[in-house]
Amino acid sequence: MRVRYVNAFVSLFLLCIFEPGCGTQVQGTPSPPEVQFHPQQFQRPENCLPCHQRQYNELHSAVKSGYRNVSPLFNGLEAAGNFASGGLLRPVYHDSTIVLPDGTILNTNMYSSPILTETRQVQAGFCFSCHNADAEILGENPALREVPQLAGLGTCNPAPPAGQQCFQPQLFRPLRDYVNVDSNGNQVLPATPGGNPPTGAQPSLAAAGITCDYCHDENGPDLKRSFQMDGFGNVSLLFNQSDVKVGPFAFPVAVKNGFHVASNNQNLIAFLTAGAFCNTCHDVRVPNRNLTAEEHNINQGGQNVSYFRLENLSTEWQIGPYNSTSNPFGAVVRCQDCHMSLFPYAGSKTYQVGDMTVTSPIPGVFATDYAAVPGVATDDNAPLQMRKVVEHYFTGVDVPLMSPAELSTRLGPNYPDPYATGSDTHGVPNGLGTRRQDLLKAAVRVSLSKTDTSAQLGQKLTVRLEAVSLTGHRFPSGFSQERTAYVQMSVTDNNGFLLYQSGYVVDKPHPNTGETAPDGNLDDEDLEHLHAIVDPGMHTTTYTSGTGTNGGNNLLFEVGPDDGPDARVYVGASEGLVLFRNELTHIFLPGQAIGRTDPSTGAPVTAQGVHFEETFQAALANAVDNFRSLQPLQPRTYDYEIQLPTQQQMQSIGVTIQGPLHVHAQVNFEHFPPVFLRFIASATSASGPSGNNLNLMNEQRIDQYLKNVESIASDDATVTLTP
Amino acid sequence: MKKQYRYLAMIFIALAVMLAAVFAQTQTYTPGEFQSTNPNYPKPDPFYFEGRIDWNLLGISQPQNAWDYMERGIHYQDDMDDIPDAINDYQTSLSMNSLQKGTCQIVTAAMVNTDGGTLPAQLTPPPCMFTVRLRLGYLLEQTNSSSAIELFQEVLQIDPQRLGVNTLIAETYVIEAQQSTDPTTQQQDYANAITAYQAELALSPVTPQSIALTDDMANNSKVHWELAQVYETTGQDSLAVSELQSYLQATQWHSDDYPWRIALAKSQIQTLQAQIAMN
Repeated sequence: MRVRYVNAFVSLFLLCIFEPGCGTQVQGTPSPPEVQFHPQQFQRPENCLPCHQRQYNELHSAVKSGYRNVSPLFNGLEAAGNFASGGLLRPVYHDSTIVLPDGTILNTNMYSSPILTETRQVQAGFCFSCHNADAEILGENPALREVPQLAGLGTCNPAPPAGQQCFQPQLFRPLRDYVNVDSNGNQVLPATPGGNPPTGAQPSLAAAGITCDYCHDENGPDLKRSFQMDGFGNVSLLFNQSDVKVGPFAFPVAVKNGFHVASNNQNLIAFLTAGAFCNTCHDVRVPNRNLTAEEHNINQGGQNVSYFRLENLSTEWQIGPYNSTSNPFGAVVRCQDCHMSLFPYAGSKTYQVGDMTVTSPIPGVFATDYAAVPGVATDDNAPLQMRKVVEHYFTGVDVPLMSPAELSTRLGPNYPDPYATGSDTHGVPNGLGTRRQDLLKAAVRVSLSKTDTSAQLGQKLTVRLEAVSLTGHRFPSGFSQERTAYVQMSVTDNNGFLLYQSGYVVDKPHPNTGETAPDGNLDDEDLEHLHAIVDPGMHTTTYTSGTGTNGGNNLLFEVGPDDGPDARVYVGASEGLVLFRNELTHIFLPGQAIGRTDPSTGAPVTAQGVHFEETFQAALANAVDNFRSLQPLQPRTYDYEIQLPTQQQMQSIGVTIQGPLHVHAQVNFEHFPPVFLRFIASATSASGPSGNNLNLMNEQRIDQYLKNVESIASDDATVTLTP
Repeated sequence: MKKQYRYLAMIFIALAVMLAAVFAQTQTYTPGEFQSTNPNYPKPDPFYFEGRIDWNLLGISQPQNAWDYMERGIHYQDDMDDIPDAINDYQTSLSMNSLQKGTCQIVTAAMVNTDGGTLPAQLTPPPCMFTVRLRLGYLLEQTNSSSAIELFQEVLQIDPQRLGVNTLIAETYVIEAQQSTDPTTQQQDYANAITAYQAELALSPVTPQSIALTDDMANNSKVHWELAQVYETTGQDSLAVSELQSYLQATQWHSDDYPWRIALAKSQIQTLQAQIAMN
């Protein structure tokens, strides 16, 4: 007997030597459970409306449902990515015959690939997979396919085999062209790429984007499609297309006519109600090699898929203080506690963060209500309980860049006005614009209390601005390389004479997008740390890959007078703009064209060394700095060393400086930088690579709908002026 | 085997199994848990992450390499306001990433495939970093200007087109000139500063294309302002006027952090033109 024990130990030991995973808790990823319920195809939210009117109304106004799919910016960004890649970001399906360079067939996309072993698989449907996974899954059936695979993906260089097409950008349609159906449910397309929807067209399933089913059909995380095998990012989520719906409650009252049944699977319920559920989409990892941070798919066979982190929100939350009890609220604060609760309308709390005393709204407070409509939702009018219910507004920092009329044309009548007034029955404002503004005002606090208390003309004054983020992730987050939060700061004398300014904008012309003279609007102006204009590319009859024809590089890239970001990050200087925006970087290697032209020779300017430059075309980024945004609950102090003018200088311009000096600082939020929007506008115009005006972004739309939120936090200080 | 030896053997084997398990746990990964490596600690591929990462996220207890020391130096400088320790760490970082010692290299066209697709994951020695050189140089501008200029020049070797580096060189020459009592040295420093400022302007030239895109007839107001002050200090009044005019053009659509300089520039132009007329 003992000999057998010894043999067993020895065998185990030897096995351990040859098995690298020995001793760990390695578990196989769970197989999708067998479906024992009736199959039920993904449905439009309207089908859920009769019983879940409130949730439908709330979701209807959420940008991720509906708006995103017809958004001129989302569509423009996806188009620009496709121009850069030759259409590679469009989905492929199981019937694809595309042959990869290694001779294999590319017939799975980002969602349908069991393990992402090829970069091209991640690219295939890269944007569409997250924003419309259900439509992409249904698209495996050609009869249900809304967004087709493009002909000739890639390039015309070299020419494709006989009988096959090149990628033809002139035929390229924005995604939103495909999301219209007629009254019979048949797809109808605008007459021309980017044209208006045909008369009578209605929104398709894909127009609804993130639907009720998208979340309530969840079947757990898909670990094998997440690059770190952790269920993070790029829609690493399993779906269960059946009539079983996962909700937050086990054992609810039976649904009328058995329209659906409620899952009693405690694991799936726990998953739906955890931050982990949101993590499956809210990290976005782009399949480009990151030249300053090596990361690749660690799944078996995935080592050739490298990536950089675009959206890093889920990771930020996962490792942050709100995913622990070490935060001012003493409990884990989930995504749902701020974005699906009564936050920020449920009271506030004052607490200490470092040496800052702050007051902020309380997360995780939920309304009490019915989860379904009484008298409608149950057989025999079975009574429903009042419960703690979640809001389905999913308010974030985004607001439509479209008019209510445009939204209704593309998404159906009575689309909610983003700037509606009034409140709902839970006391939450009806207008997304108001909710967004209130959420932003809960995000950050600043203090000037460490600023010098006295100053002298001709000497330096040091303004010290302390800033802290109160968000569950960094601030800003999401598409944080374009979402812009910054400090507008001024020093004035007692008469209001401006001695110093940072974080300011100037009304100016924008000839590249048709604004030939200043228009009196400051929301469409870029900050003055950098002057950049991005090459929109140009149409060529035969598609040619590369930035020479498809643009994306900076045609203009100059230092501005308020250059804080580079000066602070790389030089350590205490001057200029405090910008919380992260940065996408294009590292040019020696000899690569950087996008500009030598004025004397007309030749392309090439990198003479290893040249780092901010890029506004994510498809060209090969490095990213995600650490310029504010870390949650970690106050940072930013100094401004300000050279005050001399008395003599002021006399020469006829000014007498009168003390005390007044310092004002405020944090502003900018939806997106105008330079980025103008790039999208140009790239999707008739002079861009498609040769067609795709009717997405233009100067008028920027002027009309780019509304920044000013002073989400502020502070003031007074400085005595000594002789 | 005697009974007591069998027990010892079993205990030994059991311990070995436990140890193997412990070591294995440090090397493998449990699917479904958050990623095993620190997502905030970048692994060069082949370039270092340039810039600043929040120190508390890096998990560095004791710096091990040039990049670690640079990040700790940034932490000392930015978060602790501890300049001496920042300088120490930057110097240690540079000693491990030194052109002179051959512990870093300037990447040139000959070393890489310019399509970006076949760049090796590792370079030996690793690439020279620019952030640590800029930061240390900036901290040494007032106290050791020649070292500061050397560091800035190394950054230009890494990336001759990096904006702002020539301006830093020029500023340091101006500081050197202001600290010097030797007229010859001053003259040379100011001449060097002018050369460096002009090199900065040459990196973002005003061209017909840039004018068409922006309506800007000049750019880089800061350099034009500083250059004008150097010209004025060195008695080159006509050139000072010209630079002040460029400054005004450059601020037309961009203003200035110090907006009163715009009025002052106009005043200076009048004064200087009067002096020129008198001479």
